[in-house]
Amino acid sequence: MSFRRKLLLVFALTVFISVAAVGWIVSVLSRRAFERTSDDRTLALVKQFQREFARRGDDVVHRVEAIAASEPAAHMAVAVTRGAPDYGAYLSEAKSIADSQRLDFLEFVDGQGTIISSAHAPARFGYKESDLSLTQPISKDAYLKQENVPDGVVLGLFATRAIAIGDRSLYVIGGRRLDKDFLASLELPSGMRVLLYQNFGPAFSAQLLIDPSGTVEQADKLAPLIQAAQQKPGEPTEIIHWSSDPANNESMHALPLRGRDQQLVGVLLVGQSQRSYVELEHQITLVALLVGGAGILLAGLLSGWTAGRVTRPVEQLAQAARQVANGNWNTRVDLRSKDELGELAESFNQMTRELLEQRERLIQSERVAAWRELARRLAHELKNPLFPLQLTVENLLRARQQSPEVFEEMFQESTATLLAEIANLKSIIGRFSEFSRMPQPQLQQANANEIMQGVARLFEAQLRSQRAGITCTLDLDDRMPMIAADPDLLHRAISNLVLNAMDAMPEGGTLTLRTGHDGERVRLEICDTGTGLAPEECERLFTPYYTSKQHGTGLGLAIVQSVVSDHGGKISLESAPGRGSTFRIELPLNMDKLSATQSHAHAAKPASLI
Amino acid sequence: MRHFDLRLLAASSLVLVGLAHAARRPQYGGTLHVAIASTPSSLDPAALGQLDAVTCRNLSSLLFDTLVTMDDFGRIRPALALNWQAHPGNQRWQFRLRPGVAFDDGSLLTPGAVAASLRAGNPNWTIYALDDSIAIELNSPDPSLAAELTLPKNSIVKRLPGKVSGTGPFRVSDWQPAKKLVVAASEDYWGGRPFVNSVEITLGTSARDQMMLRELGKADLIEIAPEQARRTAMEGRRVSESAALELVALVFTHQQPSPEDQKLLDALALSVDRASIKNVLLQGGGDPAGGILPNWITGYEFLFSTEFNMVAAQQRRAEVPYAPAWTLSCDPADSLSRLIAERLALKAKDAGMTIRPISTGIGDLRLVRTSLVSVNPRVALTQVTAALGLPPPGLSGDNLEELYKSESALLESHRIIPLFHLPVNYGLSPAVKNWGEKRTGAWDLGEVWLGTEKP
Repeated sequence: MSFRRKLLLVFALTVFISVAAVGWIVSVLSRRAFERTSDDRTLALVKQFQREFARRGDDVVHRVEAIAASEPAAHMAVAVTRGAPDYGAYLSEAKSIADSQRLDFLEFVDGQGTIISSAHAPARFGYKESDLSLTQPISKDAYLKQENVPDGVVLGLFATRAIAIGDRSLYVIGGRRLDKDFLASLELPSGMRVLLYQNFGPAFSAQLLIDPSGTVEQADKLAPLIQAAQQKPGEPTEIIHWSSDPANNESMHALPLRGRDQQLVGVLLVGQSQRSYVELEHQITLVALLVGGAGILLAGLLSGWTAGRVTRPVEQLAQAARQVANGNWNTRVDLRSKDELGELAESFNQMTRELLEQRERLIQSERVAAWRELARRLAHELKNPLFPLQLTVENLLRARQQSPEVFEEMFQESTATLLAEIANLKSIIGRFSEFSRMPQPQLQQANANEIMQGVARLFEAQLRSQRAGITCTLDLDDRMPMIAADPDLLHRAISNLVLNAMDAMPEGGTLTLRTGHDGERVRLEICDTGTGLAPEECERLFTPYYTSKQHGTGLGLAIVQSVVSDHGGKISLESAPGRGSTFRIELPLNMDKLSATQSHAHAAKPASLI
Repeated sequence: MRHFDLRLLAASSLVLVGLAHAARRPQYGGTLHVAIASTPSSLDPAALGQLDAVTCRNLSSLLFDTLVTMDDFGRIRPALALNWQAHPGNQRWQFRLRPGVAFDDGSLLTPGAVAASLRAGNPNWTIYALDDSIAIELNSPDPSLAAELTLPKNSIVKRLPGKVSGTGPFRVSDWQPAKKLVVAASEDYWGGRPFVNSVEITLGTSARDQMMLRELGKADLIEIAPEQARRTAMEGRRVSESAALELVALVFTHQQPSPEDQKLLDALALSVDRASIKNVLLQGGGDPAGGILPNWITGYEFLFSTEFNMVAAQQRRAEVPYAPAWTLSCDPADSLSRLIAERLALKAKDAGMTIRPISTGIGDLRLVRTSLVSVNPRVALTQVTAALGLPPPGLSGDNLEELYKSESALLESHRIIPLFHLPVNYGLSPAVKNWGEKRTGAWDLGEVWLGTEKP
């Protein structure tokens, strides 16, 4: 991973972690704040309900007191004192009075507890009012009670007053229903609602749970909370999950409602929607994501810019170093900053300058050394034929002066020798000239195996005629691909290597010609089991005019290296004294060059025709 | 001077007597204002069957006539038919039509028109239009055919597209379905022109609004609920009361009561405290009923028990180990039915049964109120059983013993528990004169005339 990417990653992670941390902290804080607000609102609603309950209770008390003080009630009380009342005369009395006083329940009950008239259950005349305790004092306050009506049982807020006529009494029991209308009359803050469970039996019944609109959907989900309120003291609270959407969750607070004898007559459920909190949390998350995303984007831009500022010199230095490594020692880093990177760049440039100077000196010294070697070699090569020439000429002169009779014979022999040596000189000069005029390879499809086999055939007879036997072994890859190469040049280069190998095995040995490939390149190996070379010899082996042999021009391996280089390949040597040597030539397939060459050739044909 | 005083006194007396006589003398003219609760959507007697029988008959009688009518004692009287004759076996009847009678569109009443009208309501009858009469042939003998012809559904109607025409004492002047009906007196009515010029009937008026209209003098004739009749009369209002014409009963809706159901129904019948319901809920109105038909029609109704015996009810209930919780349905718009149902449920609870009154749907038990359509017991019983969904009584003869057996069998089937027979009550304004109070609760508005008294 590049330095710039690392820098970008660090920047992005830093921003992301920062935003995530801030978002989490804000979320936690908002949740706590919301929970506090929810608790406060629930408490306020419970208090509001209690105030409303007390107000309604006072209202019921006042209305019942007004009824007890009214003239119809007094007449009824008087009638009751006179014995069995005429129920028919009072059948609709309670109903009309209850309507006028806007009460849902009203009953007139005589001293024996017999219902004289009932507004909510007119057919109950003559029945006993079971909830009226004639032995206990009448409560001054309103109270909760479950009341039987023709449709079943309902929950109501009641008050009782007595009208005493002599030693007899008429009881007025009035009340109002605690139903959906009562719940609807409560003013609730947004997001809150109130449900009422009418506790008419030990088992939970969904029909007994009402809200301001009537029955409650999915009421069964509230059963555990209601049962907790039924069975345990206190006011339990629970989060109700109405659906898989957390926005529909609701915090429910259960407030037990108790009657006169502290029996549980109902459970008020105050619901606080979690929607606002969930939406707030979503908003925080969304904002955090947006800020995080923007931060990451900004971080990317900033880090890109910063990294560009910071890493560009480094990258220039790295690029320059790569160019130097590739041999381009003229590379310079153009940095004008005055910081450490600037110093580094200046040092780099200083280094390349010194390298160039050193190389120039080295080249110069190598060139001098090469000329010296060339001179030495030329002197050596030329000295050998010149000495016979000198001797022959001196012998010829001596013969003319001392033995004219044999001069003619010696002349003939001497001229032959002179011509032979001169030819030798021409040969030496020709080889040097040939090296200076190495032709460019003419690429064509070539089979490396065939080239190796051709070389082997060429030297087959020579190898057999050697005093010490040299065994030639071919180890060729059957699946060698075709390559684009000049077969003649390659043949010549390999022949040179084979000659070297033969020279390296004066005591005989094994010559192995091996081929192989790795898909992209082919490999040609010429192995001998000869004397081998020392490492320092290996280093100089490919230097022109260098030879380790007594009678060599030092051009053979130079020619081989030149041929291999012209094919885009490389040559290497593995050798150790006494363990033989292996020359390894690696050549690219170069088929693309072949097609380009052919297309050039095709393109050139019409032009040549013109 | 003394002679002068005597003459003056005699003259004054004559004037007063004359004025008093003039006040009692029938007067033509005026509009009789009527308010009723029913909301008929059609004036065709065939469609009026949706209303209660009394209202249906009273509205129908304004516009249409039947071949024969029935008086308070169940006697058949001629109307559009002058006379009739039942052939031996009571399977073929022939009615000779009154001549010169015309429909309110001017066309004459013909045997063909009468036959067409009757065929529409009685597809099983074979009716022949003869020269001046019609002949009716039945699939089986029916001694009560003449009584059946008094029913409103057998009114003679000439049905035209979008209109019905009759031969009654009034003709339609303004008709707003379910809202208002105004009828004008037929000048050439065969029975004589009605005294009032027109009758304006406001439909769909609640009991409270009817009372208000009467108090304000805007209604001369209103309906009075049975439980309100006594109080209204005690307040000095003018109330007309018929004989007990309406049956209040509990009907078991299951077709075949099981033996357990029968025991429970026996317990339920014994738990009904008719006396307290009559005294309190009905405010003294109506008669406790043990039979389907009232005693004044059959003469034997007193033989059926109306006993209230809670102990016996509890014992009977105890014979059934497990009693289902029954529902009791009644007309939710009828407060009296609702109260009676609640009282029945309370008493049933005392007997150990669970009965829950419901306002919607049909319960295991139904509290029904149905008017008797005829004072002919055979016709009345047949019509009541049909209206209540009970099996037909299967009467073939015309004797009382068979009727008693048939009604007894119905009661013993445990499908019905009669509770009360209620009268039909009307509130009348002082201006209504010559109100012929009838036991059948029938209006005879053709004979009514309007005085000048104010409410």
